[in-house]
Amino acid sequence: MGRFLVRRSFSALLTLFAVSVLTFGMFFVLPRDPVTGMCPKNCNPERLERVRQELGLSDPKVEQYLGYMKGIFLGRDLGSAQGGHCDAPCLGYSYVNNEPVSDTIARVLPVTVSIVVPAAILWLSLGIGLGMVSALRRGTWVDRAAIGFALTGASLQLYFVGGVLLLVFTYQWGMVPVPHYTPFFDNPVDWARGLVLAWVALALLFSAIYARLSRAQMLETLSEDFIRTARAKGVPRSQVYGRHALRAAITPLVTIAGLDIGAALGGTVITEITFGLQGLGRTAVGAVRSGDLPTIMATVLVAAFFIVTANLAVDLLYAAIDPRVRLGS
Amino acid sequence: MSRPGRQPGRQPGSPTPAPGTGEKSAGNAAGQSPAQLTWRRLRRDRTAVVSGITLVLLLVIALAAPVIEWLYGIGPHDQFQQALDRYGMPVGFGGGISDEHWFGLEPGLGRDIFIRMIDGMRTSVLIAFTAATITSALGVVAGVVAGYVGGLVDSAIGWLIDLALALPFLIFALAVVPTVSLRFYGPREAVPSGFQFAVLIGIFAVFGWAGTARLVRGQVVSLREREFVDAAKVSGAGLGHILFRELLPNLWAPILVSFSLAVPAYITAEAALSFLGIGILEPTPDLGRMIERSLGYLQTDPAYVFFPGITIFVVVFAFNLFGDALRDALDPRSTR
Amino acid sequence: MRSRTTLAAAGVLVLLMALGGCSQNTPSNGVTDTSSPSGTTQTGAIAASPEDSLGPAPDVPGATKGGTITIIREAKISHLDPQRVYSFAGLMNAPLYTRFLTTWKDDGKGGLTLVGDLATTTGTNVNGDCKVWEYTIKDGLKFEDGRPITSKEIAYGIARSFDPDLTSGPTYLQEWLSGTPQYDTAWDFKANKTSLPPGLTTPDANTLRFEFNAPHCDLPFAASLPTSAPVPADKDTGVDYDNQPVSSGPYRITDNTPGVQLVLERNPNWDAATDPVRHQYPDKFVWTFGPDADAAVSRVIADNGPDRSAVAWSGVPASLVAKVAADPALQDRTLLSPTPSANRLTINTQRVADLSVRQALNYAIDRDGLVKTLGGETVASPITTLMPPGTLGYEQYDAYPAGSNGNIDKAKELLAGRSPELVLAAADDSQGQEVATQLKTNLEKAGFTITVKTIPADSKLDETKKKDNPWDLYVDSWAADWPSGAAILPVLFDGRTIKADGNSNSSFVNSDTVNAEFDRILALDPAQQTSQWAAVDKQIMTELAPAVPLYADVAYNAHGSKAGGLFISGIFGSPAFVNAYVKQ
Repeated sequence: MGRFLVRRSFSALLTLFAVSVLTFGMFFVLPRDPVTGMCPKNCNPERLERVRQELGLSDPKVEQYLGYMKGIFLGRDLGSAQGGHCDAPCLGYSYVNNEPVSDTIARVLPVTVSIVVPAAILWLSLGIGLGMVSALRRGTWVDRAAIGFALTGASLQLYFVGGVLLLVFTYQWGMVPVPHYTPFFDNPVDWARGLVLAWVALALLFSAIYARLSRAQMLETLSEDFIRTARAKGVPRSQVYGRHALRAAITPLVTIAGLDIGAALGGTVITEITFGLQGLGRTAVGAVRSGDLPTIMATVLVAAFFIVTANLAVDLLYAAIDPRVRLGS
Repeated sequence: MSRPGRQPGRQPGSPTPAPGTGEKSAGNAAGQSPAQLTWRRLRRDRTAVVSGITLVLLLVIALAAPVIEWLYGIGPHDQFQQALDRYGMPVGFGGGISDEHWFGLEPGLGRDIFIRMIDGMRTSVLIAFTAATITSALGVVAGVVAGYVGGLVDSAIGWLIDLALALPFLIFALAVVPTVSLRFYGPREAVPSGFQFAVLIGIFAVFGWAGTARLVRGQVVSLREREFVDAAKVSGAGLGHILFRELLPNLWAPILVSFSLAVPAYITAEAALSFLGIGILEPTPDLGRMIERSLGYLQTDPAYVFFPGITIFVVVFAFNLFGDALRDALDPRSTR
Repeated sequence: MRSRTTLAAAGVLVLLMALGGCSQNTPSNGVTDTSSPSGTTQTGAIAASPEDSLGPAPDVPGATKGGTITIIREAKISHLDPQRVYSFAGLMNAPLYTRFLTTWKDDGKGGLTLVGDLATTTGTNVNGDCKVWEYTIKDGLKFEDGRPITSKEIAYGIARSFDPDLTSGPTYLQEWLSGTPQYDTAWDFKANKTSLPPGLTTPDANTLRFEFNAPHCDLPFAASLPTSAPVPADKDTGVDYDNQPVSSGPYRITDNTPGVQLVLERNPNWDAATDPVRHQYPDKFVWTFGPDADAAVSRVIADNGPDRSAVAWSGVPASLVAKVAADPALQDRTLLSPTPSANRLTINTQRVADLSVRQALNYAIDRDGLVKTLGGETVASPITTLMPPGTLGYEQYDAYPAGSNGNIDKAKELLAGRSPELVLAAADDSQGQEVATQLKTNLEKAGFTITVKTIPADSKLDETKKKDNPWDLYVDSWAADWPSGAAILPVLFDGRTIKADGNSNSSFVNSDTVNAEFDRILALDPAQQTSQWAAVDKQIMTELAPAVPLYADVAYNAHGSKAGGLFISGIFGSPAFVNAYVKQ
């Protein structure tokens, strides 16, 4: 188990490293040179070049990359134009937002987490619950309604659903305020009211997917031999379904959920744009559009970190449960 | 989510048939190949038939777009600004619905919505099918090689899969798509829509093969320990024979299911990219871009939102319905 | 069966459709405004008498003290540091917490007067040659902490604008004082923090003196920009000053949470008796960041709770105009005004060298269709001149009268059977693409072959400013920093300023006769200049036709029912807050 953990952790680190290199390589294809934004009218190319030098943007790309990575682990000096010394983990200074990138991340990450985590709880409970029920009541109207719901949800477009929810609940009926983010500890009720539409939209789509998955998984588990054996032995139905079937069915679902949540935390761009919330995804999009490389690097690395960690956790879970995985080649 | 829709990753419950599995479906199934059995089951399933016909209909409409345009009489680029009021909004009921313009007019440019939707469907279907085919092919090859050869090759491909899944798709698409055409076409040349299609399909391929590869690899790993593979090896079969004659026929079911789920996922993904402004550009009609623009008009011209919105929903729904029915038909253990 | 559930799903969607409602749109007289946007003439000049520069500012009728004005904007204001402010939001926010050497008195209906703000007058042209200017600073001015504002603090503010770290602000004073665009190397601020840039002196605490090598008759105008805002030297924290600059205006910054909100509260040390323009009615101003244009306008229209005294910074988007304009209850809660942002179809005269082709473009253009594409008359107002209406000394003319839908026949006649192939560079954002589609369809009717080349929106401006850019046509916009022809025509059409990169003269015209006219007018007294620019405007269009004037942006902003005293600035075309109050 130890060896497995070491191997997978090494692989995860390698992945993060590769992500950082590829993202930095984006520098070559970015649509906008960010420095020109500092010089809106009557700009002078020589002066602009001096600004570029000061920001370290004229250094060779490899040097810039290494400087950035060093900053993450050890902190670095950024020069007076970028706020002086930047403590580890230094994610750089955004010359577009005029603030250290770590401040930006600290501000937008809670928004994305606040969107994803409650939505995930909603969609998992709704989806898995629905799937289980429909598998157990297979063939009845409950099953058909659940399948219908699942298919509809899987076919909806997030931005369309979001738009319709906004129209109905905010603009026409005024039941819910225009979506906004209030930190949870400031005002939990306002936090919830400001995000509830985003949760509902995400839950509608994702619970449909999980309903399908869990129904299929439950059906497969129910047809396994060990279930038949348990029933034949006379184990009461509730125990059969609750203890044996549910446990077997849930494991792969939870692992997929882990991966999905990891990916979602990486940036729910469409949700944030549709509902006008300033989260990690939207910040990343804005950074790409304005050529703000430090912010791009930071948001991508944070997102990749979530995904890789989720992957690692899932692999460990599988390894803990299934000995073949950790012993296999 | 920053992923291009769901790729069936560690999808549980995929059917694992092997040659000669005993379970017979009702009726006289003796001596029928799995494919024929599947076809029979499909034909019996009413929903599969309905959705299958809908799909074929949609495909025909999409492909026959030029004919429809000729019959309808109005092209997707024709403007009717005289039918717009001083705010650029279409005059009349439901955003300008009339017997000349079945679905009304776009605000601003005043183009016909119906014919643009037909063309938009064509764009979506074309891109989605091609992308799904390419990613499935790439994924199958990678998954089979990784699963069967094992060892270092497996580790390497597995790591590549992890990397492809860890990279944020949308960010890279945002950075690459707008500028890649500048490298292939001179600064004064317009970029043909065919190239734009190719770029989108390309970026889907770079990110999308990983899901299928992972799925296929899992299947191959469980299959390669089976007796029939051993038997083939013992009787001196070469690698090619084992891969294509023994393994692949047992993989077509999950591959087919994965393909049928990939198509609607790519329709959604392409629309999402257009929503963000990096999909297909004007003046080529596109459903995602139409929805993005129309959302602002939700309060003033809701018909403009609902036409493309419902259309894309119907297309994706039909694909999902058919994919579900296909999966049920392929799995001998499931009974409706 | 599954088909039943499919039907149910379809039913739900139909229900949603019905909820949204298919509505009937009958064209009505709809909005609005008492005067048509393009008809408002901007009048104004430099203040004739020193009394205009005295405070207090006249009371706003009906204004009451108290309350909070909320301003809703999507992106945060890029800079608060006065020497770095140059965006519209920054320029409208600055008068709340800073004061300048000179400023504009704006009656909200087109009447503009330049008056002294920190200074007693708009500046004394000492030798009459516009090379030496003197300002007398008023007495009794104080920062928010009570310490006095003298010429030293104003001079320090101008000196620190030479610091290359403090990017993004206007560069007029720096370039004029040092005589070169490389002002940051001509005088190193960091090495000389205790001294002043060349040409800038403070003979005593109440006098500020500018000495230039070349005449700059526009100094009074340039001094109205926040570069001339005072900064206490010991509180200058360089790039960090941007977080909480020290206030010299009626409000001071009390909370700055980037991307979330900016709060300004009353500054007790602001003396209304010294200020000719500002008021201090509300208790607080709060900028709320995040909601996009749709959300902001919808909120303000809904008029709930604190939104009653809110204003949406972004104008009513084209998609919502129909709803807002049709609602009579909203009539007095909207601000409708022309702005000085002029949009033109720039013709790269290096590539399109044939004057008749350029003239044909001017005849072919369908401005009405373009305005409809953009969202109608509350978004854009067609213009036929290079200077927008509202510029001092503006005169309406049409060098190529083609009617509001263009004159295709006349264009064809000029082309005489030719079919020129032109490449139009378009931004890849949705507005850029739609405008390009409209222009292409329009111009092709006259026989042009237009190829639309899409380039990333964020880099389009930079790319079209390059001398060797590969395109023939591109849509450009220009908003002058002060409403004088001097800030528009020479900047955009003087060929001697052409360099490799960063050209505002993106038509790349260079005509000796026109250049000579520029020189002649710029040497005149500012008061005399005003009437001369209109003639040059017409001359440029008739002789060179370097662009097709398209439209001026129109400001159409919505506010809550309790927000009063708001108007659209005649200088920058954005909501101004100096007269704002909350109705009690």
